[in-house]
Amino acid sequence: MELFRREDKMSSLITRNYNLLPVINRFGIRLGFKEKTIAEVCQEKNIDTDFFLAIVNTYTDESYFPEAEFLSFSPVLLIDYLKNTHRYYINYVLPKIEQLLNKVMESCPDNCSSLKMINTFYQKYKSELLLHLKLEDEKVFPYILNLYENKTLSPEGSFIEVIENEHTNVEVKLSDLENLIIRHLSPNYEDNAMNEFLTALLQFENDLNDHARIEDHILITKVIEFEKELKK
Amino acid sequence: MKENVFIVHRSEIIRKGLSLILQEYFKMEITQLNSAKDLSSFAGISGSIMILILEAQADLNLRAIDQLRKNNEVCLVGFYAENSDDQVDQTFDYQLNQFASPIQIQKLIQVIRQSGNKNKNPMQDNGELTSREKEVIKLIALGLANKEIADKLFISIHTVISHRKNITEKLGIKSISGLTVYAIMNNLLDIQDINPEELI
Repeated sequence: MELFRREDKMSSLITRNYNLLPVINRFGIRLGFKEKTIAEVCQEKNIDTDFFLAIVNTYTDESYFPEAEFLSFSPVLLIDYLKNTHRYYINYVLPKIEQLLNKVMESCPDNCSSLKMINTFYQKYKSELLLHLKLEDEKVFPYILNLYENKTLSPEGSFIEVIENEHTNVEVKLSDLENLIIRHLSPNYEDNAMNEFLTALLQFENDLNDHARIEDHILITKVIEFEKELKK
Repeated sequence: MKENVFIVHRSEIIRKGLSLILQEYFKMEITQLNSAKDLSSFAGISGSIMILILEAQADLNLRAIDQLRKNNEVCLVGFYAENSDDQVDQTFDYQLNQFASPIQIQKLIQVIRQSGNKNKNPMQDNGELTSREKEVIKLIALGLANKEIADKLFISIHTVISHRKNITEKLGIKSISGLTVYAIMNNLLDIQDINPEELI
């Protein structure tokens, strides 16, 4: 897909890729753009246009990864964005997915023990994901912000290394959940209910992957380099 | 699928030599690295068959390898300095030692390519678990470690690991709790046998 540029209309962003709806919301941008360009809307909202473009293009084209550009942004900007994304997951996506799963459960006529196991597994996944988000929000992000503010290494050591591993564990559970449903669960439920749940889950997976990509490849790379410099 | 070959070895002589032999027989792209640390920079590769020839006694950077496994078919070849029939390291899918003849190297690559082709047609394999694999899943779900499973079934720990690998490939499920759910859904195990709080 063609990349977005500053002079493109903000409305064309959504008509070309509606998956960006929640992404622009995270920047505080709402619909009703009239004929304004991306740069104009960003200026109005006091958003760094290059940063905005880098993010929406990352979500739009998987092969696009403006590492060099990203690396020039302040980590404060990145962390702000990532925190907003976490809030969106916690307050909106996860409750929504759970609601859809409940509908699937309700649609099961009888002998729902397998579906109940899926539900238990989902709960396990959710609590692990929440724990991971909490760790980032409460420990990792403050650690990074503090690092850049004071420009000294913390005596307690770095929080950075654990994160990538954590991502892998959470990703594995989500992919297991999908495979259990798609390949192994006998279909004892109403199809439309399951389709809605599964679609939401798969979409969430995509979003999480982009999110983890930004954290692992941009934020963490940046911080590790900064830590190295400080050690010198 | 595109093939990517990596040779990771501290010795430049070995890197260049092996690369020369491989290039002579096969038209393949070969990347030579001094240290497995540098594998991390290739995390962006996807949809390839990746053949990694790694110096067996050096640090392997398993984290980067796991990352590559997510989007690629990865095949690990351990490169040994000595004839090492007794050093079976389960990390590696294949082994190669520095005295291997060019023919042996050529054969190895052929074997790797054929196994790669097999994986492309998963439909040929009906994906049914063998009864042994079912026993292994059951014990995993009960929370046993590899060593305990090996003792219980009178098999070696390597065999347990290879069963686990096959199970994950057949079912598409990696985590212990995911396998537990599978075991219960398929009546390999009764829900009463496990502590759901702990495992799921």
